[in-house]
Amino acid sequence: MTTPTKNARTEARRKEREEQRRADVKRQRLIYGGVGAAVVLLAVVIAVLSVGETDDRVGVSEVAGDVEVDGDTLPPIPDGAADPAVGQPAPVLSGADFDGTPMTVGDGAQLVSFVASWCPACDAELPLVVDWLTTSGPPEDVQFVMVSTNHDDSRQNWPPQDWFAAAGYTGDVLVDDVASSAFRAYGLTATPSWVVISDEGEVLFRASGMIDPAQFDTLAELAASG
Amino acid sequence: MIAVAERTFGLLALLAILIAVVTTVALVRRRVPDWLRDDVALPLATAIAATATGGSLLLSEVAGYLPCTLCWYQRIAMYPLVIVLGVAVARGDRDVWRTVLPLTTIGSAVALWHIAIENNPAWGGPCEDAAPCTIIWVEEFGFLTLPTMALVAFVAISVLSLAARRP
Repeated sequence: MTTPTKNARTEARRKEREEQRRADVKRQRLIYGGVGAAVVLLAVVIAVLSVGETDDRVGVSEVAGDVEVDGDTLPPIPDGAADPAVGQPAPVLSGADFDGTPMTVGDGAQLVSFVASWCPACDAELPLVVDWLTTSGPPEDVQFVMVSTNHDDSRQNWPPQDWFAAAGYTGDVLVDDVASSAFRAYGLTATPSWVVISDEGEVLFRASGMIDPAQFDTLAELAASG
Repeated sequence: MIAVAERTFGLLALLAILIAVVTTVALVRRRVPDWLRDDVALPLATAIAATATGGSLLLSEVAGYLPCTLCWYQRIAMYPLVIVLGVAVARGDRDVWRTVLPLTTIGSAVALWHIAIENNPAWGGPCEDAAPCTIIWVEEFGFLTLPTMALVAFVAISVLSLAARRP
């Protein structure tokens, strides 16, 4: 038969063991969590070091242009719903091409393609655009402009002017600034993106992603008729 | 910044391959260590699912990569795993593999289909013109594309959830 004192001692030992077990589990979790965090940190450090191995090529600030935005920023393109930007005034972008020639977007009938040189979908689409421009292209009263945006000198196809040249594109380009102001002003979130602007400077159409080349003519005609 | 993120995901995917192989060997030999079964397997599977989910959101919402239809199907299989496994970790549920495996099996099948299309662009796939299945947005170490990384994550999560079963 056990005495109450003995029972109390047994209970105290049990509690002590339980507390010890909890402390062990807590310590173990901290160790595992620490190891996990260290592994992720190591991966980030290796990534930074390996991606940072760049040569002496030009940087983003040397390629990016100066863009002045006149007008309200357009809302983002909604998924599967009517685009609220259609009918709104297009922001007027004033900047220049890679050679410093002044370039304006948003002040007349235009078919505009926003592209990033590193973007694989843009890389796949550019030759199709060049083909279209050399075979038919837009009507005379519609200007086709590409906006070179989202510059990244750590990725493929840098610098963008060489990328355009390699694809045989010799048309108009507006070079976006470091902050991608032109891209943001049009409410865009992905490249490539397409915008059709009417003669009166209204947005007629916006789309994210690649466009079926068969639609290039349709979009150019929309700009002409708008 | 995005290039660093892609390389980090590539390195973590290599680590996940190693984890999947080692765990599979332990399962086949029926010698899953106690520390793996009791303490590590489920939290690690949760971390893999969370990293895959966070990575996919970073690449679409910050980097601006357009997810294709097959990417969305893989997301549908991956995103719930963060919740399912997170709850299992909190509750100490060792039978969570019964919920995890159907999701990872579907996700793996779609990822394999996507990888096949990436390697055979002529197949086209079910994607829309705006975001073709054939566009390879990321390719690390010459073979780790986004669906390949997703496949690695699905497989690693599967074997880890099996390793967490009761002995």
